[in-house]
Amino acid sequence: MSTPSSITVTAEIRRYDPSQDAEPRYEKFQVTGLSNMSVLDVVRSIYDNQAGDLAYQFACRVGRCGTCAVKVNGTPVLACQERCKPEMRIEPLTPFPVLRDLVVDRTEIEGRLAALSLAPEREAAHPREPEPITPELSAELCKMDSCLLCMVCVSACPAVEERAFDGPAFMLKLRHMAKHPQDRRNRLEQAIEGGMLECFNCDVCTQVCPADLSPAQAIREFRRELIFGGARRS
Amino acid sequence: MSPSSDMLVEQADVLIAGSGAAGMRAAIAAHDAGANVVLLAKGPRRANHTRMSGGRYNVVTGLNANDSNDAFFQDTIDSGVGINNYELTRILADEALERAYDLEEYGLAWDRTDVKKYYMSMTGGGTYVRTLGSVDEGIGITEIMLHQLHKRGIRICDFHMLADVIRDDNGSVAGALAMDLSRGVWRYFSTPTVVIATGGTSQLYETSSGPTINTGDGIAIALRAGAELVDIEFMQFIPISFVYPPGARGYTLTEPAHYGKRHFDPSAEAAHLLNNKGERFVKHYDPVRMEGSTRDILARAIMLEILEGRGTPEGGVLMVPDPAVFDAFLKERPIYVKRLLENYGEPQARLQAPIQVMPSALYTLGGVRIDAWCRTCVPGLLAAGEAAGGVHGANRLGGSSMPDIQVFGRRAGIAAAQDAKAGRPPQSAGLERARARADALTAPLRATDGIRPPEVKRRVQKLMWDHVGLVRTGAKLEETLRAFGELRANVMPKLKVTSKARILNREWMESLELENMLDLGEAMAATSLARKETRGAFYRTDFQSVDPEWTANLWVKHDGSSMSVEKRAVSTLEAPAAPKLETAIS
Repeated sequence: MSTPSSITVTAEIRRYDPSQDAEPRYEKFQVTGLSNMSVLDVVRSIYDNQAGDLAYQFACRVGRCGTCAVKVNGTPVLACQERCKPEMRIEPLTPFPVLRDLVVDRTEIEGRLAALSLAPEREAAHPREPEPITPELSAELCKMDSCLLCMVCVSACPAVEERAFDGPAFMLKLRHMAKHPQDRRNRLEQAIEGGMLECFNCDVCTQVCPADLSPAQAIREFRRELIFGGARRS
Repeated sequence: MSPSSDMLVEQADVLIAGSGAAGMRAAIAAHDAGANVVLLAKGPRRANHTRMSGGRYNVVTGLNANDSNDAFFQDTIDSGVGINNYELTRILADEALERAYDLEEYGLAWDRTDVKKYYMSMTGGGTYVRTLGSVDEGIGITEIMLHQLHKRGIRICDFHMLADVIRDDNGSVAGALAMDLSRGVWRYFSTPTVVIATGGTSQLYETSSGPTINTGDGIAIALRAGAELVDIEFMQFIPISFVYPPGARGYTLTEPAHYGKRHFDPSAEAAHLLNNKGERFVKHYDPVRMEGSTRDILARAIMLEILEGRGTPEGGVLMVPDPAVFDAFLKERPIYVKRLLENYGEPQARLQAPIQVMPSALYTLGGVRIDAWCRTCVPGLLAAGEAAGGVHGANRLGGSSMPDIQVFGRRAGIAAAQDAKAGRPPQSAGLERARARADALTAPLRATDGIRPPEVKRRVQKLMWDHVGLVRTGAKLEETLRAFGELRANVMPKLKVTSKARILNREWMESLELENMLDLGEAMAATSLARKETRGAFYRTDFQSVDPEWTANLWVKHDGSSMSVEKRAVSTLEAPAAPKLETAIS
């Protein structure tokens, strides 16, 4: 693989400190680096060399912690997993309250996750030996639980914007529990309460997911269950 | 607004610093033992090192008839080159299975080959096939644990960085000072117990695998609060990491890619490693095991090849993977196939072409010295997980940090809840000390001219990587100690931040991190200088062999003004008292 060429990008960043500013402003920066820089590389370079007062969030830089999500030219992305573009407008993830600049307040999101009670609600205690789960189901459960809760899909979802719908990630988490063999709660009921029926089935969530998951498929499975049965009774 | 007037005061029975698995497991255990628990996360709660782990978990399940807890214990001692705290190692081997079942109870689905049979594989250094895994890796483990905290209603404070542990006049924990980074205000937790679960020190190094928050805060804070550190000169480097793209440099390329067929069969060969002359250089370092050698030897071999000019222009060596294991690799670690595809190319992703790799700072082997229940020598102060030392000795088996954080996280939580019942300090105790400390730590915010913390941070990281990394030598360690002294005396008082904004002021946070990094860098360099031998992950060019005289531990203490290093006998199961051998350098 040959060494990537150099690129100069223009990044326009939304700056806003709710404790001091009446309204947000946009500040322009130019960053030169390798053409395969990520959006996060650009933001970090701006902090390191041009704007020491920039507030931004990341931890793992490799698509695992899910805390660096922003909007680039209107599209929600995980900053560390997204290639830079020559012209970028970088903004905090919507529709969440902004702490400062590119960092959003996730308090309400965590509250919603907690309220969904996503631990398996067991009838019997764990047997203290491998619990019976087929290898196929175990692989499926693991796959679904690799959701980063980065909120990229929730931000991209047109139904969230227009209707009373919690959003795709929450449906995926509920579906994960619905498939867990030890969970006794009626997760379909919870999904309906969370606005599952408001989903347009547009599949945008699947297209933007940085973990290659399909919340839309989880919603389709819930809908099939609603029509044909098979959900647990709580 | 004066700094002291922003101080918010709260109470807890058990305050836990760190939102990785050790901290979360401690929170679950302390809550279940009846304590009022508060857990601090330095960033958002999902920003932790466990989340970045491959999640692979060493445990004797009974599926492999040849394996036993004794064998697991012995492998861990052998890998640790005999300086482990034997009691802690024994506990790890004996309790790993119960904690693996706990994770399954919480909702984790371990990979399976049959309905009631776990999928087992091998990791670096083990004698037997002994490692569980799950496709969701550290992400799944942290998610299912988080739901357990939610279920219990345990309070998690996101963006809260522990700044210092405050002691009362008797030397016991009275409380903890933390900064709410999301608001830029100080918080004092009046609490009889603090559990340090803040992870390791990988961010002290220029090239590292872990998350940006791992600046060793809790370890330095425990040292300043009077606790001892043990084995802090031992830092584990992972041999096989990504070389590019720049943003991901140092991130671990999961072991199955390197292990090839050896992933399932101890007698099979691992992927060959070649220098820029096309030579399998590992033969000079471990002619018997070759690339199937332990992480310490492979990482050192790769680093020496690079330092001696036999690396690639990008600063790596070439790994020739085995395409025959591609299907298994894709099934077990799909995300790495995707990463290789995006960052290297399709032939590399299909394991058909050589992949450039380099070593990277992975795991802090030493840490806060603890007893079997994670208590330090300071009443009320406990530590668990990567922040604690002693379990792994001079080197760690791949797959052993996951059981470590579960086993000792739980023990720390139980012990802290018990200690908290002994009595809660009066809310005012320590408050004035906390105010004074907060005021001192606010200095960079008041400075009008000076040096930005990230610039100093980069200097520390370069010094550590060059001189306190994979290859160490007496003269360079002395030079580094002088450089740290210089930074402490002349640069630290001049730290300033660009903006006075208090909300999420990253530079201000980095000024707090820097103090911790310097304290630890100094402890790591001083102990490295004292240990005149080579052992496990620790390599001195001027003392290249293992010296039986040094089958011993180094303890570091800080008396408030200076640091001292003492050589102590290893705490084996036969002689748990750890008699003092001699006082080494200070």
